[in-house]
Amino acid sequence: MTALLELERVSKTYELERRLVPRLLGLRKPLAAVQDVSLRVERGAVLGLVGESGCGKSTLAQIIMRLEPATSGAVRFDGTDITALEGRALQPFRRRLQMVFQDSTASLNPRKTVRRVLGESLDLAGVAAAERAAAIGDLLEQVGLDRSFASRYPHQLSGGQRQRVAIARALAMRPELLVADEPVSSLDVSLQAQILRLLIELRRRLGLTMIFISHDLGLVHHLCSDVAVMQAGQIVEYGVPADVLRNPQHDYTRKLLAAVPRGPEVAA
Amino acid sequence: MALLEIDNLHIGYPVDGGTVELVRGLSFAMEAGDAVGLVGESGSGKSQTALAILRLLRPPVRILKGSIRFDGQDLAQADERTMRSLRGSMISMVFQDALSGLNPAFTIGTQLTDVITAHRRVGRAEARTIAIEALGMVGIREPEQRLRQYPHQFSGGMRQRVLIAMAIACRPRLLIADEPTTALDVTVQAQIVALLKELRDRLGLALLFITHNLDLMSQVCDRAIVLYGGMLMEEAPVTALFGSPRQPYTRALLSCVPRLSDPPGKITSIDGSPPVAGRLGPGCPFVPRCSLRIEQCDMRPPERANAMRRVACWRAET
Amino acid sequence: MKALWRRPEAAIGLVLVLTACLVALLAPWIAPYDPLAVDLGRKLMPPSAQHWMGTDQTGRDIFSRIVWGARPSLTVGILAVTIGALGGIAIGLTAGYVRGLWEQVSMRAMDGLASIPMLIWAIAVVGIVGVGPVKIGPWNLPNETKVILLVGLLYIPPLARVTYGGALSESRADYVSARRMQGAGRLAIMFGDVLPNCLSPVIVQATLLVAVGIVVEASLSFVGLGVEPPNPSWGGMLSDARKYIFSGEWWTYVFPGLAISLSVIGFNLLGDALREILDPRRAAGISVVA
Repeated sequence: MTALLELERVSKTYELERRLVPRLLGLRKPLAAVQDVSLRVERGAVLGLVGESGCGKSTLAQIIMRLEPATSGAVRFDGTDITALEGRALQPFRRRLQMVFQDSTASLNPRKTVRRVLGESLDLAGVAAAERAAAIGDLLEQVGLDRSFASRYPHQLSGGQRQRVAIARALAMRPELLVADEPVSSLDVSLQAQILRLLIELRRRLGLTMIFISHDLGLVHHLCSDVAVMQAGQIVEYGVPADVLRNPQHDYTRKLLAAVPRGPEVAA
Repeated sequence: MALLEIDNLHIGYPVDGGTVELVRGLSFAMEAGDAVGLVGESGSGKSQTALAILRLLRPPVRILKGSIRFDGQDLAQADERTMRSLRGSMISMVFQDALSGLNPAFTIGTQLTDVITAHRRVGRAEARTIAIEALGMVGIREPEQRLRQYPHQFSGGMRQRVLIAMAIACRPRLLIADEPTTALDVTVQAQIVALLKELRDRLGLALLFITHNLDLMSQVCDRAIVLYGGMLMEEAPVTALFGSPRQPYTRALLSCVPRLSDPPGKITSIDGSPPVAGRLGPGCPFVPRCSLRIEQCDMRPPERANAMRRVACWRAET
Repeated sequence: MKALWRRPEAAIGLVLVLTACLVALLAPWIAPYDPLAVDLGRKLMPPSAQHWMGTDQTGRDIFSRIVWGARPSLTVGILAVTIGALGGIAIGLTAGYVRGLWEQVSMRAMDGLASIPMLIWAIAVVGIVGVGPVKIGPWNLPNETKVILLVGLLYIPPLARVTYGGALSESRADYVSARRMQGAGRLAIMFGDVLPNCLSPVIVQATLLVAVGIVVEASLSFVGLGVEPPNPSWGGMLSDARKYIFSGEWWTYVFPGLAISLSVIGFNLLGDALREILDPRRAAGISVVA
């Protein structure tokens, strides 16, 4: 059974030298954001991608989503190599992978109502105009929002509500793979679990495969079936959370775990 | 006499037809050398409290009622001149966003020495020495060279250290840290928190640590105050708070934190959403989300206190 | 709209601008006399009940000439800005979104174009090409057309730059990535998502450039390269009034001068007010972080 997503030796190098003359002379300043990453994500899995800022996890997400081209390596979705696909050829795949961004304020166009945002999504997913209104209502219900929210603008919503709309937008395309980039870091602790539980519930109901990017090891421990730890563009450790988090093999993983603040020693 | 004594503090701003209150009757005290954590989520009023102590509230937000006594002097009534002499020297603050806390156009040496010369009667040469010492104390290597550098040449964690150095350069008696690590990576967070702890031990300053991260706060504070909807919910020594939280909100909040030590798959949240200032009734702000609520809760709960802790709840027995 | 009324400067600006526009539009119905009607028997008469602003050196009613003179001033200002906006937005938007070689080339070209001084450019070109009507097919367009085209061309760089700045930052926003992820087309994203979010500073800039346009037109007419006499224009009227500055016929230059000043002030005030109102921070309301 082919894995839903397969990354084979994916690398991404950014060219920092922007000036014309040095470039013509061949003087370059490369920055390797992702180095030689290989991964398999099976259907139904929840992969946790952990690392600190600058480790390349967000860049990797962008490569998976084909928002950025990889410099080398292959990205295979459901067996098909999508690394080099562009435009029309890429279109049928676009729908099947969707992403929820970290900052819900930035991921929603401030000048568009919820209705318009979801409507556009549905339109590109091929839903006929006549059925769109009903579909929008259904989507909102699915993410736990009242149907009346359709007429609101992003700034009229709370952070948690915005994030739900972002999830609804992604779901409108009926994806098979959902990449969530720090979906709850900007939310209050008492709300984080609401969104997380929503994602888990949706995964169960819709059969989604998920990649969950986070810096919070606690979340990964509770939600993920697999964990990949990234440092400086490379995956330094991979396994099931129980193994990786209890018996870290790599120095960096150990360092991360040691830095997680624990509550005080309490006599219960 | 307590170092800092806040009594019945109300902070808010006027709107058509009334006032929106962000902090509603907060009282607490700190002794010299205390390390107190002020914990809360959005809408709790924790940052406003910190800004109020230093009288840095942005108009139209202002102190509506109450007193803030520092060494006996009521800061709520003090004039700007008095406040200027206190800020940076007696009471210092470290903000969350280290990038905007430093002026990108000047070297950190200039900014550090500016703070020092503003409050201590020393020449530039001696100020420089003090600055180097302060940088050394916060763990910045090769401080003499670093003085000549600009903020953008420092990493996020280093910038935060510089801000802390600026805050302690004049040996304040109270250091307020408002979410100093929120924008930083986990490993850097741990370092900064350890640094704060060390500085507190070394310099004997009182520390008011404001955060939404309970576990982080517990690494450096002895006592914690939990705020919600502008009101105090619970105040207790950290071990007591974690071990036996008495207030329903505190209990719920603690259970929400996903811990590595818990068996996997358990994630708890609190139904409903955080309170919106201005839309709160007279009762306990947690009422809409509390599983223990009773009719009495529509009236503001009293603070039940014993020697060690305070709980604001009709249903708490201390 | 409500926000406009709260600030007195904004209200004043709006009133001045609207007045100027209405006067220009309704000139044929507002002007009591034919602006070209010469009456040498009534020359240089001070303001009176029959001639509210007096008459000029050939007996023409100044008030009527002021009213009709609003047309060239405003048409040049507004049309030039329109040309600049169409060109500038197209260039700035594509440069900021698509980037790459086009970005480098177009922005350098804008820099080059921006370095040309406006008045000297206009005077030089019209001076060389000559004053006179422009023949395009069956139509005979007045001399101002040249001014509109010249000024419009030089308006492209500032408007392109402002659009470019906005497009550059908005293109990086997550909501644009989200649209790309859905498979939306480039044009749809550029015009549907990016452009609406970078229009505010463009609108402000455009308003201020209208004011500049009014002054440029007046300056050109003053030196005889703008509106051809005897057609009325504020700059031309000032030029005619030069002889009378010291001889006491104040109404010949005060009124045209006021017309120019007030319309320029009006557009400037409006532009400043728009800048305040369209500031995105206001859209979010007071955000008080607790």
